[in-house]
Amino acid sequence: MIMLDPNVPAGPLEMKWDRRRFSGHLVSPANKRRIKIIVVGTGLAGASAASTLGQLGYQVECFCFHDSPRRAHSIAAQGGINAAKNYQDDGDSVARLFYDTIKGGDFRSREANVYRLAQISTQIIDQCVALGVPFAREYGGQLANRSFGGVQVSRTFYCRGQTGQQLLLGAYSALCWQIERGQVTMRPRTEMLDVIVVDGHARGIVVRDLVTGRLSAHTAHAVVLATGGYSNVYYLSTNASGCNVTATYRAWKQGAAFANPSFTQIHPTAIPPVGAHQAKLTLMSESLRNDGRLWVPVSPSDRRPPNEIPPSERDYFLERRYPRFGNLVPRDVASRAVKAICDEGYGVGPGGQGVYLDFSDVIWQQGIDVVRERYGNLFEMYERITGENAYEVPMRIYPAPHYTMGGLWVDYNLMSTIPGLFVVGEANFADHGANRLGASSLMQGLADGYFILPYTIGHYLATVDSPPITEDHSASRAALERVEARLKKLLQGKGRQRTASSFHRALGKILWDHCGMSRCAAGLRGALEAIPSLREEFWRDVVVPGSGEAFNQELEYAGRVADFLEFAELMCHDALHREESCGAHFREEYQTEEGEPRRDDERFAYVAAWEYREGETPVLHKEPLNFEFVQPTTRSYQ
Amino acid sequence: MSRVKVFFNSSVNSKIVASLAGLGLVGFVIFHMLGNLQVFEGSDAINGYASILRDMPILLWTARVGLLAVAGVHVGLTLRLALRNRQARSVAYAARRYRFASVASRTMALTGSLLLMFIIFHLLHLTAGVIDPPALDGLDAQGRIDVYGKIVHAFSNPLYVGIYVAGQLVLGLHLSHAVSSVFQTWGIEHAALDHLFKLAGPGVALFVVLGNLAIIFAVFLGLLRT
Amino acid sequence: MKFTLRIWRQGGPNERGGFVTYLADEVSPDMSFLEMLDALNQRLIAAGEEPVAFEHDCREGICGSCSLVIDGVPHGPDRGVTTCQLYMRRFADEKTITIEPWRAKAFPIIKDLVVDRRALDRIMQAGGYISVNTGGAVDGNTLLIGKDEAETAMDAASCIGCGACVAACKNASAMLFVAAKVSHLAMLPQGKPERTRRVMAMVQAMEREGFGSCGNQYECEAVCPKHVSVRFIAMLNREYLRSGILGTKIPARSDPPHGESY
Repeated sequence: MIMLDPNVPAGPLEMKWDRRRFSGHLVSPANKRRIKIIVVGTGLAGASAASTLGQLGYQVECFCFHDSPRRAHSIAAQGGINAAKNYQDDGDSVARLFYDTIKGGDFRSREANVYRLAQISTQIIDQCVALGVPFAREYGGQLANRSFGGVQVSRTFYCRGQTGQQLLLGAYSALCWQIERGQVTMRPRTEMLDVIVVDGHARGIVVRDLVTGRLSAHTAHAVVLATGGYSNVYYLSTNASGCNVTATYRAWKQGAAFANPSFTQIHPTAIPPVGAHQAKLTLMSESLRNDGRLWVPVSPSDRRPPNEIPPSERDYFLERRYPRFGNLVPRDVASRAVKAICDEGYGVGPGGQGVYLDFSDVIWQQGIDVVRERYGNLFEMYERITGENAYEVPMRIYPAPHYTMGGLWVDYNLMSTIPGLFVVGEANFADHGANRLGASSLMQGLADGYFILPYTIGHYLATVDSPPITEDHSASRAALERVEARLKKLLQGKGRQRTASSFHRALGKILWDHCGMSRCAAGLRGALEAIPSLREEFWRDVVVPGSGEAFNQELEYAGRVADFLEFAELMCHDALHREESCGAHFREEYQTEEGEPRRDDERFAYVAAWEYREGETPVLHKEPLNFEFVQPTTRSYQ
Repeated sequence: MSRVKVFFNSSVNSKIVASLAGLGLVGFVIFHMLGNLQVFEGSDAINGYASILRDMPILLWTARVGLLAVAGVHVGLTLRLALRNRQARSVAYAARRYRFASVASRTMALTGSLLLMFIIFHLLHLTAGVIDPPALDGLDAQGRIDVYGKIVHAFSNPLYVGIYVAGQLVLGLHLSHAVSSVFQTWGIEHAALDHLFKLAGPGVALFVVLGNLAIIFAVFLGLLRT
Repeated sequence: MKFTLRIWRQGGPNERGGFVTYLADEVSPDMSFLEMLDALNQRLIAAGEEPVAFEHDCREGICGSCSLVIDGVPHGPDRGVTTCQLYMRRFADEKTITIEPWRAKAFPIIKDLVVDRRALDRIMQAGGYISVNTGGAVDGNTLLIGKDEAETAMDAASCIGCGACVAACKNASAMLFVAAKVSHLAMLPQGKPERTRRVMAMVQAMEREGFGSCGNQYECEAVCPKHVSVRFIAMLNREYLRSGILGTKIPARSDPPHGESY
């Protein structure tokens, strides 16, 4: 039976983190050398956690499935990272970043966590600068900022359109240092396939060496999952092809509660899909909305090229519906508006899936060079993919699954419901509530990894009594057997020769249609019927060539699809039970007459944490959200 | 490992030293070419020039030994680098296309080896006189070594003209990449001057090759004769 | 569109490889190069054959995973892109396309078109970092960095570690990769304290891994998906020279023991 204790320290909001740091027990330096911590994943959260833990003197073993820790998908974040530095003196503060984030998340996140995130944000920038991250600078040498993603202050730090890359390379370089020092043992091309739980505590993982196919158990005193999000459950998303839910999902099956799995963010500005062959959707940075204007023709039958449509016959629908924020409304609002207008038949481009994102006004006002300097690489990318020159014709964009706010449930100390299993970054559910603001994921990943986990894990390690266990402990052997059995089953299916990818695509369509940007009870119930039968077909018909004892990319992929096929059901259960619209979760039954979401704080001001029960429907646990310091308001951007 | 070995295990160090030696050789080649241009002033001038050099045996032999040492360092280091480079890719590409890399830059090892063979030939031919010496005793009227006569004798023969013209082309190719390369190897880069550095190689190559070819063709076309 | 693909197939690191010819038909000009290979693999898998192993992840040109030599040029015919950003409209219909892995002794083949690039990580571990602890960093604006310096540092830092420079280099040299990191960190005030040690250690690691030396041919820049300039190699050479001259410091004297013991 799962107990959800958020473990938030008492006291005023500003003091909570300080109090936790002071009250936390410390591990003595001599003992740290004897303590081993496993970190899975080397994105922003994983790399920063592993390097900091190594620096503190723990023995760290770090795993990633890529060929190098530098390739984690954090690298693709374009826009920037928020911090309440208030360098621009435009009224920013920790309190404002806190409020923007909690409001942006539609009051479905924990106050204490979000406040801590805002507090730590400023340290992150300093740390990254110290690591040599080449942030954009003003001529005078000071750090530059831009305004980003639906906030009214300029608090976003950036490295051209490659902020995620530079922050990740910074964390990766810190990791390299610790590897060189012998504090971190790095194991690339290794995929985690199960958690080893001994006496209720996470004590290790089972991994598959992706080159040799060898399975092995690794034990430790604590396990940190930094395995990212699961947007790829939709098949088409902005995520890298390797992103998956396997690590967190298998932890769930071992007893870690999964929180708010249906909170998935759909990013408004991706390049529209063009055909069935498409393997991913390419994101165009949200910063484009700072200068670009979204519109569709007033008449749905208007088939003229965009430049020939006079301004009076264009519907700048975001500016019309949200006059105060205009094109800068948060992601969920923008995505829904785009989808709604396309569903009404106003969409442009192939299949009517797209709206214009037009830069002609800013080019006219500020000159083409300004636009080129700000967005040159994005325009280039757009042209390469679509063959169109966006300086001359407006871009076409369409929403795409992008980020998952849901994840393993963690308490204030980032520990899951399995003691000793910590979850950081996108893999946990913690800070973004029902919707994430732009430039906040990098902030959260680094806050977790550099500054929060290293403290809280120390307290756990100092207070827990973990007897040494060996790799052939019965729990390890059981976990190994589970993994082996599953791999064997995957390699057996030689039915009607359908590829894992075709199942993945079918699953993606079910979810996009029924558990995507807008959901309804009937659709979700339909999905809950369709998914198990698809899963059954999968296990009957899927074909995985080659063997398990060698490098076998299709086997890796099929294993991830198999987990998606189970996990999707959990998402639908969560979406179905939440009978309100909040943030990225939009239930068609719960909207105002103007089509705006209707939140229900009476019934749903809680975190939905799901417990796995073998062969049964998942069991819901609720962590009530008490707002002591801010009053939930209707999130209106009109 | 000895310090010298450690030093030269670094390809960057090897390249810096090899390029220094190479520059020395370039200096010699230019000096050699300018000196030889004196054939255009007639046999007296060039034979006199040669005898002045020979009248200072200590200087001459120091220069010769020095030159040999410098050439040895250059050849030794670049050969070692070339071998290591070859090892760095054990399986070749089936299809290979270069986008930037010039023919000269890709064939440095080849042109270098050919150049070495050409120089040995040249030493045996015109310096030591082992190959095809002129029929006479090789002294001019004043009893000096008749360099002029040797040159005219050599380049009246189409076979040697062919060999020397080919040698000059190889030299030109080698120098055109080598000289520009020196700037990069020494870390000299400058936004405004980079294109001059790029032109330096072909410029020096052209200068040396044209000067040398002028002598060869002047003889071959009968402008210089005994 | 229709293409004939000559693809390098190799079962494992120690097995013999060779080219196998496949026909790719029903290719749409809007497909990316990797999507074209995906389609081929789907066909192979459905037929129970082993798909062509190739590396890919983000598919937007930033992770550095993809690594194909296409008709003799790493990342294919377009400049400034990775293989995943290459679109089939770029190719003439009915063409024969040869696809090979990165070839270098330091990049052993794992399977088909997948190579092991850990050598690059080991170079980074030798010194591609600034040794600062987490916590206690001074305010980001304490050390001012001019816009131009910051931009140049960013130009160098934009390297994605794909290894195309090595694949393209006649000598399979990793100089551009090393130069990008050395220059990035040497240019920033935060990286200056360790610059002497860093450049020495990284170049040494590069030699140890069996990469070749720089022939100043600049093919690396020509194929670099991020346009990292060979001027950074000049900068590396300069840093190296500088370290060679300044690196020999007056040796630090170890303090004589005090009466007090620790």
